[in-house]
Amino acid sequence: MSGPLFPAQEIGSLAKPRWQLLGQRGEVLDGQAVEEFRLWNERLGFADAASPEVRALLEGRSRELGAGAVRDLGALFALRFFERAGLARVYDGEARRIEMYEYPIRQMRGFRFYGHVRSFDNKYYRKAACVDEVGLEHPYHTEEFDFVKAHAHGIPKLPITGPYTLADWSYNEHYLGRQAGWKGREVRRRAQREFVVEIARRAVRPTLQALIERGCRVIQVDEPAAGTHPDEADLVAEGFNAATEGLDATFSMHVCFSEYASLLPALLEAKRVDQWAWEFANRDSEERDGYEVLKLFREYGDTRQVGLGVVDVHRDEVESSKVVADRIRRAAKILGDPSRIWVNPDCGLRTRRLEVAWQKLGSVVEGARLARADFERAD
Amino acid sequence: MTIHTALTGPFPRSEPLVAATRDLDRARASADAVEARFVEAEREVVELEQRLGLDAVTGGYLRWADLFRPFAEGWRGFTVGPVTRWFETNTFYRQPILHAPPERVGSVVRAALPPSSVVEPSRAKVVLPGPFTFAGLLDNRSGETREALTHRFGRLLAEEVRDLHAAGYATFQFQEPLLVVAPPKGPLAEAAVAAYKSIGSAADGARTMVWTYFGDATAVEPLLHRLNVGGIGVDLAETEVDRVRAPPDHRALGLGCLDPRTTLPEDPAEVARVVRAIVQRVHPREVWLGPGGPLDLLPAEPAARKLHVLPAAKQLLDGPGAAG
Repeated sequence: MSGPLFPAQEIGSLAKPRWQLLGQRGEVLDGQAVEEFRLWNERLGFADAASPEVRALLEGRSRELGAGAVRDLGALFALRFFERAGLARVYDGEARRIEMYEYPIRQMRGFRFYGHVRSFDNKYYRKAACVDEVGLEHPYHTEEFDFVKAHAHGIPKLPITGPYTLADWSYNEHYLGRQAGWKGREVRRRAQREFVVEIARRAVRPTLQALIERGCRVIQVDEPAAGTHPDEADLVAEGFNAATEGLDATFSMHVCFSEYASLLPALLEAKRVDQWAWEFANRDSEERDGYEVLKLFREYGDTRQVGLGVVDVHRDEVESSKVVADRIRRAAKILGDPSRIWVNPDCGLRTRRLEVAWQKLGSVVEGARLARADFERAD
Repeated sequence: MTIHTALTGPFPRSEPLVAATRDLDRARASADAVEARFVEAEREVVELEQRLGLDAVTGGYLRWADLFRPFAEGWRGFTVGPVTRWFETNTFYRQPILHAPPERVGSVVRAALPPSSVVEPSRAKVVLPGPFTFAGLLDNRSGETREALTHRFGRLLAEEVRDLHAAGYATFQFQEPLLVVAPPKGPLAEAAVAAYKSIGSAADGARTMVWTYFGDATAVEPLLHRLNVGGIGVDLAETEVDRVRAPPDHRALGLGCLDPRTTLPEDPAEVARVVRAIVQRVHPREVWLGPGGPLDLLPAEPAARKLHVLPAAKQLLDGPGAAG
């Protein structure tokens, strides 16, 4: 990696501002939403306050403006939020997305939604069944990428749900049904492997190709399901390889809240991963033991970049820049090469209020500056 | 040999019940309206169970937020803890936190079961957490060792069995996925045996069964066969079918032949073939067929479709060429 040490990046989602949520539903903005818009526009300058679009939004005519235009403003807001925070790789905070599973699945063929599954308590989610060969209706995330590309000052980094997670969060009827005999563990595993690879080849890969053709150069493949079945870590890698082999882009794989040791070394077989973007801060303590797991990279001889989670996305408490710098130093010492480190939040920041997210990103950037200064002095 | 069929755990909530409970959380529906919806949904599950000729009725345990919640909310010593992944699934439970040795509150489980107007106690299957799984999955801040806690849950659940049996309930099933996912050894295994000794002593003619799922039961079979219950259930999606053995002393063998991990319905003929092969090999006196794990990992429609496989497979097994 050339350039200054410890460049910063975002890792995905950002909470949608109140004005966007109300505006895209066609509702009149209340005082709180108007104030929020004005405050952030003063800080970020993401919109021309005199433009007809902004006036329509703030003057209670969001229905007239339309949901698409409000989402455009939301995307611009998130983009400038990340840029003004000082990040080198940016996106739109997933301003147009509401979740990471159902939307991509609905762009594919071969799936059917039967109904809801309870996640816990009275919380539910929809889980599709794959009932036929996987296909792709049309590549997705392309329009949002075009918008980001047209407006970004930094380097766009697009997040996309990985093939293993799409398969794991679906029921496998079609590929399991093709297997003869009793559907025991070995048969299910064979069918799951086929399912993962087919999603990768037939849906995720053509989408990646379309994005790359439009100029997307940095892509983060999200695999939050990777830690659910540690004995399927090889399928995560195989799906990643099937989706990315031969494609001309920089790829990272984001995994979080998992027992990483149980995924290695199988996960490292994902050949086209240029960067492992994992959560660490959530598991860290004052002893900096959250970063010990990085030793596994050394143990297995993996020298790829690390997207280092240095702030926790599940707590409001804002880590100081000193803590962030300390975490970076610890990671650099373990890896033995500071140039391999990018810094980022553990995961998407949508779990936090915008003000907290802003402060946390400030700590990420300032902590990186402190750590960088240390290393430059040492040189 | 006799073959029975039954649900072995929770059934998914229907789409109208999903909508009602969501509305409750969003303050768009009253508690009374949602309660009415629960009763209606329980009746629908009971009607389905009866229509399919299942030999025990559950009502689907639709009200239970998770396997432990009535205890975590109702017994003394607990608070309800964080959302925690339910084994290797994409569903979650709230981990009970135990702050002191647990104390049973007698009315709690009875209140969590469907009303007797919906499920007649003598035909009901009471599904409870197994003492080993309960002690192993909670956040234990009580100061008791896990072994002592396992044993204590055995005694407390034995009291529960005794009281419910006196109230007319006759069939009890204990959910023990942890026994096969993380099999115990040494003193912990002995604590599990001791826990079921208490339960077995309290059963007094009631039917009791330990149901295992999410793991291969053959690895822990010697321990399972020492548990003082009337039957042992295994998950045939995880257990090698040609290694299943019958519990000793003519106890019942439970065969989890519906896989809740996929919406693909099982082929009744294939289920019958596998069950017949097991029966011809191990000669159990009594077999219970049911889902291998909790069917609420599925939406309601495919779960109901799967449940239809049980009577179809039973019919094939009871027909010409039946083994046993």
